[in-house]
Amino acid sequence: MIPFSILAVVAIAGALGVILGKQPVHSALFLVGNILALAVLYLLLSAEFLAVAQVIVYAGAIMVLFLFVVTLLTAGKEESEPPEDLSGQRWTAGILAIGVGGALAVLAAGHPGPKVAAGLPVNFGNLHGIGHLLWGSDFLYLMALAIMLLTAALGILVLNRPMRRTHVRHQRRKEA
Amino acid sequence: MISTILLIIKILVLIGILMGGFAYTTLVERRLLGFFQLRLGPNRVGPQGLLQPLADGLKMALKEDLMPLGADPIVYRMAPVFSLFAALSVDAVIPFGAPIHIFGQSVSLDIANPSIGLLIAFAFSSLGIYGIVLGGWASQNKYSLLGGIRASAQMISYELAMGLSVLGVLMMAGTANLENIVLAQRTQGWFFIPQIVPFVIYFITAIAETNRTPFDLPEAESELVAGYHTEYSGIRFAMFFMAEYINVLTVSGLAVTLFFGGWLGPSFLPPILWFVIKVAVFVFAFIWIRATFPRFRYDKLMSFGWKVLLPISFIYFLGTAAFVSGLL
Repeated sequence: MIPFSILAVVAIAGALGVILGKQPVHSALFLVGNILALAVLYLLLSAEFLAVAQVIVYAGAIMVLFLFVVTLLTAGKEESEPPEDLSGQRWTAGILAIGVGGALAVLAAGHPGPKVAAGLPVNFGNLHGIGHLLWGSDFLYLMALAIMLLTAALGILVLNRPMRRTHVRHQRRKEA
Repeated sequence: MISTILLIIKILVLIGILMGGFAYTTLVERRLLGFFQLRLGPNRVGPQGLLQPLADGLKMALKEDLMPLGADPIVYRMAPVFSLFAALSVDAVIPFGAPIHIFGQSVSLDIANPSIGLLIAFAFSSLGIYGIVLGGWASQNKYSLLGGIRASAQMISYELAMGLSVLGVLMMAGTANLENIVLAQRTQGWFFIPQIVPFVIYFITAIAETNRTPFDLPEAESELVAGYHTEYSGIRFAMFFMAEYINVLTVSGLAVTLFFGGWLGPSFLPPILWFVIKVAVFVFAFIWIRATFPRFRYDKLMSFGWKVLLPISFIYFLGTAAFVSGLL
């Protein structure tokens, strides 16, 4: 219980840091802290593969891309936030978030599902367990996701392909 | 209790060995670069310059720790620490030798032997990029920033090919545990023979991951002064320096473990010595390549990573999968 509490505090502090940080780079770093805390939480559940995948994919790849963009965009810029269009957004969002979170916590504590009582399944979150899930019962979802991601990647290729020369000439004539 | 003490001793010894390895790798590199370039290299401090690393270390420790005026203080100070932490932690899972017997106890030489050791090594090494990017950003210097941005783009691109290149070994050994990968090579032969193409790709991407010539664009001194560590001085610069050389030792150790049978070898030498010899050969190759090749142009570097290394490693990966599963 003690390790869980420490990690929960770290994760929540990281999440708060993301929205409260003044500098975008600081926000990104807090998010990295949050992701690492989650990874250690997975380790506590003995889901070692999930933990490592979390670090490799989120902390090692996605957040590096975030940082890449953030450092590129905010380089040498003075931070001056534009005035908000709708006043009181932050307060409303904060109160709503606390309300929803509290309601979920009360429901989860009062009505634990049958799966919580049953404990962790065998091979939960390790290499064998995830492998059996992905290539066994969840194979259809895996394929669906793969096709979706491939479509996104192909879409980028199509949108960014170099324009054909005749096409360019045609457009120029139109503009003229 | 005893196991905890043993673990702490092992961690301290490993850090000591890595620091010593770092210090003398720099000396070997400077001497070898001297010979490659028909000059002597540092040979004044002590016999054959053997005390040069000590003198350098003392100089680095005593130098003033400067920080630019507009720098982000916390991130600037923490960036080299991140780098060194990531570099050191990868070595925790590398098996350096067969278990040895002291005082009637069997002691394994690696600090941890998790069942997914290879993935943990990759997870930690993927965190090393943060030190470089944050150091470049926090310095508030155009050259540093460019170095950091280049590093992130380069390492993301080459990490994919690197990950794909080791999957073949993973499938052939049937395990992600580094010790079992070594033991599998005792029966199947060293994996660099069936996996020669992935090995070459691993080696190229390893040079790129450690930011060494010809992939040293993040610190290209002819265009970016010193890239991400331009503003750093004293012990914090030394930490970046240590991280780079310890990364060289680490990727060499992983290459030996995955492709060259780890500590395996004829029995006239102890296993750990075989491991050290193989790593030393790799370190020599790193230095040799640095002395030989000019730096890549940036767009060529990116297109080489994405259009050459990634497709080849992917095709070889699929081929290995078909072979291992018995389709071929």
